[in-house]
Amino acid sequence: MADIIFVVDEVNTTITDRVFKMVETVINTEHGSVALVFLIGVIFGGIIQYTRVDKFEKIAGFSMLKDTIIPKMLFLTVGLTSIGLYFMIDAGQAHYHVKPIILQGLIIGGILFGISMAILGKCPGTGPVSIAEGRIDVLVGAIGGLLGGLVFTLYYDDFFKPLMGESLGKTILTDFFKGNEDMTAIIFGIVVILIAIAIPKIELFDEADLSQLSDDKRPDKKEN
Amino acid sequence: MANRLPWWVGGILMSGLLLLTFSIYGADRPIGASTYVPYAASLIFNLDPEHYSYIKKIQEAGSWEGVMLLGVLFGGFITSVFITKSFRFSLIPTGWKTYKNNSILSRLLWSFFAGFIMIIGARLAGGCTSGHFMSGMSQLAVSAMIFGGVVMLTLVITGKLFYNTKGKK
Repeated sequence: MADIIFVVDEVNTTITDRVFKMVETVINTEHGSVALVFLIGVIFGGIIQYTRVDKFEKIAGFSMLKDTIIPKMLFLTVGLTSIGLYFMIDAGQAHYHVKPIILQGLIIGGILFGISMAILGKCPGTGPVSIAEGRIDVLVGAIGGLLGGLVFTLYYDDFFKPLMGESLGKTILTDFFKGNEDMTAIIFGIVVILIAIAIPKIELFDEADLSQLSDDKRPDKKEN
Repeated sequence: MANRLPWWVGGILMSGLLLLTFSIYGADRPIGASTYVPYAASLIFNLDPEHYSYIKKIQEAGSWEGVMLLGVLFGGFITSVFITKSFRFSLIPTGWKTYKNNSILSRLLWSFFAGFIMIIGARLAGGCTSGHFMSGMSQLAVSAMIFGGVVMLTLVITGKLFYNTKGKK
């Protein structure tokens, strides 16, 4: 592990060449046109921004149990999607892309992820949305993330891959209920939707956003 | 904050987007948002996939998420300027000032540190909130349920220990 050196491509490529190569890779793979993938990103960013779930007060607020919009929206999304997706896959309109159970990786990674999500108040999907609305502290977090990605890449074979452990397979919930797969998927979806509705709605507001509103529009001054 | 969607509208829209992305008429793959980070690092630091097994492994997923990321930045920017009107440059969130401290340096150092371990954590687990929690759990994947449980628990414990919430509403 001691002598890690940067092995640079023989041909001197510029960052622009490499970004073009990224677009080229998307063109050459069968996962939607470049325009569609870009559009998926635009809608994804738009939904996150419009619901304000990228805010520190929402994510770090949830870690302090002072805001529950994040789990409510996440659970509703999962519940609805799981039912729809199960029947789409059944009808051949979509495929499974299940990630393997790599137990050590999931637990160690989950712990690191949970700690950092509470401190940064963002995750890799919401972070870029915050950067796009001018949050410099999140940009600094992203630079840390890029270095994290670099370290992970450099030490993947020697350190991180052995740390993750072996895959225990790509089990899904319906594998435990053979014969009742349809019912299992429907019950899972409904239970998760009910959890989303049952979680009490608590909100933490950001005075910097509220101050731009007139009193009658401030959600914190409205009687529920 | 005036212009915002309620959580249930957000959930329905996000579910529609996930189903579109999964469908064979869309991208025939899940939404993910953490593989692009090591991939972006490989673009910036010019790491040749032939020499780095991890970059070779994530080349397709990283490219896909890289293009999606450009869309996310664009969509987030346009929405923040024209709809939520929340675009502003800021170094420290209001909530950090209330529950942690008023030091910009403290916020930036903690952000850097958290960003660093966040990506290592996501790559160890093989996904993040998007890839595991949303896309994985929607496929009823056990891996995603383990990740989701560990993250939720650690998140809440960290929130209680890291922030000073006593006596504040």
